[in-house]
Amino acid sequence: MTTAAQVLAGASTDFLKRYSPFDQMQPEALEFLGERLLLSHFAKGSAILSPEMGQPRHFFIIQRGKVQASQAGNVAVTEYATMTLSPGECFPIGAISAGRASTNNYVALEDTFCYQLPARDFMELMRISPEFHVFCTQYIASLLNQSRQQLQTTFSQRAAEQQTMTTPLGALIKHEPICVTPDTPLRKALETMAEQRIGCMVIADEALKPVGILTQSDLLPRVVLPEFDLSRPISEVMTSKPHVLSATATAYDAALEMATHAVRHLLVVDSMDRLKGVVSERDLFTLQRIGLRQIRASIEGAEDIDSLQRASQDIRQLALNLIAQGIGAEQLTHFISALNDALTRRIIILELDRHDLAGIAFSWVAFGSEGRHEQTLSTDQDNGIIYDPKDSNKDEAKTRLLAFAKDVNKALDACGFPLCKGNIMASNPDLCLTREEWERRFGAWIRQPDPQALLNASIFFDFRVLYGNEKIADELRRWLNNAAKGNSAFLRMMAHNALQVAPPLGRIRDFVVEDDGMIDLKKSGARLFVDVARIFALRSEVESSSTVQRLRQAGQKSGMPADELDAMIEGFHFIQLLRLRSQHLETEHDAPGDNKVHPDRLNELDRRILKEAFRQARKLQLRLKLDYQL
Amino acid sequence: MNWLTKMFSGDHPAANLPEALRERVEQWRALEEPSLDSSHSDTRYCIVNTEATGMDLSKDRLLAVAGIGVEKGLIAHRDALEIGFDSPAEALVQMLEFIGKSPVIIFNAEFNRTALMAAFEMHLGFEPDIEWIDAYWLLPSLFNDKHDRPVRLADWMKAMGVETFQRHRALGDAYAIAKLFLAAQSRASQRGYRTVRSIVDLAISRKRLQRSISS
Repeated sequence: MTTAAQVLAGASTDFLKRYSPFDQMQPEALEFLGERLLLSHFAKGSAILSPEMGQPRHFFIIQRGKVQASQAGNVAVTEYATMTLSPGECFPIGAISAGRASTNNYVALEDTFCYQLPARDFMELMRISPEFHVFCTQYIASLLNQSRQQLQTTFSQRAAEQQTMTTPLGALIKHEPICVTPDTPLRKALETMAEQRIGCMVIADEALKPVGILTQSDLLPRVVLPEFDLSRPISEVMTSKPHVLSATATAYDAALEMATHAVRHLLVVDSMDRLKGVVSERDLFTLQRIGLRQIRASIEGAEDIDSLQRASQDIRQLALNLIAQGIGAEQLTHFISALNDALTRRIIILELDRHDLAGIAFSWVAFGSEGRHEQTLSTDQDNGIIYDPKDSNKDEAKTRLLAFAKDVNKALDACGFPLCKGNIMASNPDLCLTREEWERRFGAWIRQPDPQALLNASIFFDFRVLYGNEKIADELRRWLNNAAKGNSAFLRMMAHNALQVAPPLGRIRDFVVEDDGMIDLKKSGARLFVDVARIFALRSEVESSSTVQRLRQAGQKSGMPADELDAMIEGFHFIQLLRLRSQHLETEHDAPGDNKVHPDRLNELDRRILKEAFRQARKLQLRLKLDYQL
Repeated sequence: MNWLTKMFSGDHPAANLPEALRERVEQWRALEEPSLDSSHSDTRYCIVNTEATGMDLSKDRLLAVAGIGVEKGLIAHRDALEIGFDSPAEALVQMLEFIGKSPVIIFNAEFNRTALMAAFEMHLGFEPDIEWIDAYWLLPSLFNDKHDRPVRLADWMKAMGVETFQRHRALGDAYAIAKLFLAAQSRASQRGYRTVRSIVDLAISRKRLQRSISS
């Protein structure tokens, strides 16, 4: 760098320091930036960057002028359609970080000067400046939120249609009707409205037959502005002949009626035309969702498999509604697994009534995704039993347990958890074992990690107690962590195995797809995170079986920066969310298409985030590779 | 020493040039000449500006000279030079090397170019063959909507919303001229003047036009 170059660089950084995030950056990072900046000019109306230009070669910072960003194509990927950028603002952050074409067209609104930073220097700046890194990742995270909101809109339409619309109006009414007679002084009626906090007052005759309605929005034009005398009867300002529907009409009818007549309230009457209550627009769209608590109560009170089957349907419906309410993948999978756990426990309790297991200590454990709290909506059952015969005869105890397990497996199947094709079920004599037997089996896999043993480890090491004696399982967990931690050859083989599948990121195209043009989000997505997390957990003695907890706890123990961990976990959640979504939208039930996604059919934003999620998987794998020198 | 420099030796001032500088001048001469038919996006232009003790060519002397490269329509902060005139021969050779064979953009050639050429003649013994484009004439022919006659640098900066970090310093003014030239390139391309030659001609014809009006 010559002195002259330093002077020019200094002039540009003096300018940038007036804007965030440059004002927070360290002098070295700013100097790096200033030295590498280029200055360009765009005449008013000329295109600066567009999707057709492909991967952007520069990061732009506006120095003078105005730039309009507008979404390309007809798919809205962000909440704004067009946006005007002014001096100090930057673009395209998402596209350049992800190394993909911009989704926006950027056009100079007036004669504009832009600083430009070559893409490679942009990546280096992200690396050397934590402030700049945070700025860019927060920007991308805000995109993630937008994507979630968009998902939410899609689902709330579905949820509303499916659920509310066939409910009879009678079932929507929460309160006894509040009404006054036509001769009631207006003041008294308004006082009642204020006391009861209601948005409208119904006027009914002595037979409770509605004759009119007065809503809050009527008050301004009919009462306040004309200075209507409050001591006069309400009938003089009410809307007469209010819209009325029968209690047996459906929510759909009500929605239609409201839309047709542009009203927000409908009066519901019984077969004798007597007022039963009021239904508002809000009731239709928000109050009629199955709640977590109701399902839980119905599961716990269920006396037979039939009622549990209904509960299992409700769980599915709830999941749909929760997505509609914008709940993230983490909470969602938690809810699903909490309810599935409750369902399984109830089945076990019902079966225990019919089986005599007195004198045997046992715990019913879940393996695989259920064991990790990561069930999606199409998971078959993976379970087993750890038992202690105590004083009873061991073989006889096992026979009794197997008979019991067989009935539980069948009942689970009836409640929407298909029987495991690989026979990983408690009714399989190989999976109904004492703690010592499990230890021997786990020990054999650890000592001789052939491919089958590694596959087994990836299923069975993620065990979790669903019912019964927790102590036996805790002992087994401690024994396992100890055994695995002490065997570095085993961990190394596990690591080698975990690296067999690479994230489906392409060098030329964005994604490497399978023959059918799809990506398997389980096999080449979620599993990459799950496998690495398991190894991290085993070697640092983390007791949790959940992938997120494993990553977080083991990551912290080994000193990984929190923001790096967050980014990885966010990536995992996004893949899980996409899995749940594809299971919902494409099939109501188990289908071969589950877990698969067509990247070309994702919207621009989801594609971008999915790519970032796969990058996070790659980062995680790279860490493992370095740790084990693979 | 090759035959060419031998021929120019003798009582010519260049003969007094130290061997090292003379060789660098030779290397400069040997550089390939750029095509005037190249487009702006394939060309490196060089903004050149001087700083002198005053504006009287007969008695004022040069204090510093600055250069900024504009390549492929971009100003790169790295591609800049500013040198004082303490050792004039050395400074001029460095400047030649910095310019290379790029077309030179200068503001008010009447003064800047004349002063530089005199210095080349005096200290290096020759006037280098450089393609000069005078922004003083180029700007009004492209931005006739802002100023339809040649005006001072300060007026152009105001009209185009261009700022610089330090006025009346060789590098500071060069930076302002460089920014104006970026805008001029955009406008020229929009109007179909896409080659080096087209803007050379534009500046010259504008200058002739003005002369014919005033004479």
